Amino acid sequence: MLTTVVGHYPKIPNRPRPARLRQAIARYERGEITREELARIEDEVTLEVIQEQVEAGIDIISDGQIRWEDDQTYIARRLSGFEINGLVRYLDTNTYFRQPVVVGDVRYQGPFLVQDWRFAQDHSPRPVKAILTGPITLARLSQDEHYRHHERLVMALAEALAPEVQALAQAGAPLVQVNEPLVLWHPEDVPLLRRALETMLAGVTCETALYTWFGSIERVYPQLLELPVDTIGVDLVSQPRNWQVLGQHPFPASKKLGAGIVDGRNTRMEPVEEIVAAVRHLSRIVPPDRLYLNPSCGLEYLPREVAQAKLRRLAEGAAAARQQLGVEA
Amino acid sequence: MEMALLTSAVGSYPKPDYLVRARNAYAQGKLELQELRKLERQATEYWVRVQERVGLDVLVHGEQERGDMVAYFSGEPGGVVIEGMRLGGLVRSYGNRYYHKPIIEGKLRWPGPMTVDMWRFTQSLTDRPVKGMLTGPYTMVEWSFNEYYPTREDAVMDMALVIREEVKALVAAGCRYIQIDEPAIHTRPEDDFAMAVEAFRRVVEGIDCEFHTHICYGPIEKIYPGMLELPVKQIHLAFKNTGFQYLKLLEEHPWPADKVLGVGVTDVHNHKIESVEEVVEGLRLVLKLLPPHQVWALPDCGLKTRTPEEAEGKLRVMVEAVRQVRRELGLD
Repeated sequence: MLTTVVGHYPKIPNRPRPARLRQAIARYERGEITREELARIEDEVTLEVIQEQVEAGIDIISDGQIRWEDDQTYIARRLSGFEINGLVRYLDTNTYFRQPVVVGDVRYQGPFLVQDWRFAQDHSPRPVKAILTGPITLARLSQDEHYRHHERLVMALAEALAPEVQALAQAGAPLVQVNEPLVLWHPEDVPLLRRALETMLAGVTCETALYTWFGSIERVYPQLLELPVDTIGVDLVSQPRNWQVLGQHPFPASKKLGAGIVDGRNTRMEPVEEIVAAVRHLSRIVPPDRLYLNPSCGLEYLPREVAQAKLRRLAEGAAAARQQLGVEA
Repeated sequence: MEMALLTSAVGSYPKPDYLVRARNAYAQGKLELQELRKLERQATEYWVRVQERVGLDVLVHGEQERGDMVAYFSGEPGGVVIEGMRLGGLVRSYGNRYYHKPIIEGKLRWPGPMTVDMWRFTQSLTDRPVKGMLTGPYTMVEWSFNEYYPTREDAVMDMALVIREEVKALVAAGCRYIQIDEPAIHTRPEDDFAMAVEAFRRVVEGIDCEFHTHICYGPIEKIYPGMLELPVKQIHLAFKNTGFQYLKLLEEHPWPADKVLGVGVTDVHNHKIESVEEVVEGLRLVLKLLPPHQVWALPDCGLKTRTPEEAEGKLRVMVEAVRQVRRELGLD
């Protein structure tokens, strides 16, 4: 029963700590520093957030996606065939992302996540998972002016991302996580997601995960369990009904559950007992050795200090639960 | 003059440089509140005179004292604090933009008049009516963290009571038009829309005043025609930025005879000042579907992100376009 994170981590701290990345980006946009100087600040902030996750006691961390402007454009800008358009709201949040527009054939142009992962792992005492946004979500949140055909776009994305996923596995990433929140809004995409994952993960031998958030899993469950990944991530906070849906179906012995039990979108601190109660409930559905405990989503919806406090609380709750349930980490 | 095709604005105007500097200095403890208030009023008077010389019918005070439409009521420097709220840490909104997201940490209570002094001051400067400007209960809660209430609905309903007290105080001071903005109302159209409308009803029910609302960018098609249930005289939408696409909705489901449509006729996110002819064309499209007494012309949204010159330019073009259309219709 290990603790982990779902995705991004807040990029800047609050006063009195300096907002270095915010200042560096502003200076870069004004032409006062070079791309290389900005990249150095991104590296330094990545080291800070690695340390914060480790200090909080999280078992499997991420690089915090510090270099990602949002979940979509970081990838879209690095594949061929995309232009980046104006701001649109991200699902039901008060955050916005620039919408990718597909204007040509989507193709792989060389590695980018591999360098990010290697840098993070080289500087982390804990395993670092590699994270990418999946083809269904990228396609659903982009405007397609080229293929004008959802299935063709999704499969083109899957083929374009496959070399990156394989490179990550070969580089030694212990776990590759594909984020697919949009499949919850488009249950008809589950069979297509299956084909896309088969393409992306062909020959990948490291552990794999598929995470969702914000939505109800009702319309895609238990079909999600048939996807060719080791772990399925479910947000149990935004949609409390997801608890019932999980409980209604036997959880297969071949799968692990990534349980989002700490609210990544609200500053209210879950008491340790609440986390223990959640784990107790979960252990009736999934044996603890096939359980990951994590926040309900990425943590950028919170101020940085609260994000770290949430992770610390998650680790405390997990430790208390292990003790009370008599299981090992 | 017939009460048709009136002109107004949505809320905010750009802050002059001296006020931006003063707000920063105040936030850092380097300026007295009294001095900040003086400069806020100076800037407010500037915008009243701009609106008068441009020829707006119903004025706004320009929100020179506000940074953010939610954080202003939750303790931003120089702002006010609804009881039970406080300002939280920085959260990223997009790109390199961050804001202090408020936190609801206790039972929400009205702390006494929050906007009345500024409204009264602004109204004292002019014979034209000045709108009262508030943020609606759903948006106030949706754009805050909630550490206190078990559900979003509980928080929204208590927030409605807070806003209602402020509405009553504005009306008691003599305010005849109050605009209550709900830009977040379409965040969860299926789950929350009916609740947001009910909260709005609790804010205004039984109070004698003309209420308006402004709903900006977002999936308007998902809340139309449901949004017509909002208990207001006028609903304002950003038409210009969306290429007057909302007219298709009005073609499918007619706009009711008892409501005024506030039409955003200039794009607030564009430096370019529209031509008079372009604004006239937009108004003509709307007037194919609605009689002039059901139409007001406004910018798409608050103008605070423009330069002062651009903001005035956009208002001027809007008023000139309305005058031309009024002449064509024989309204003057």
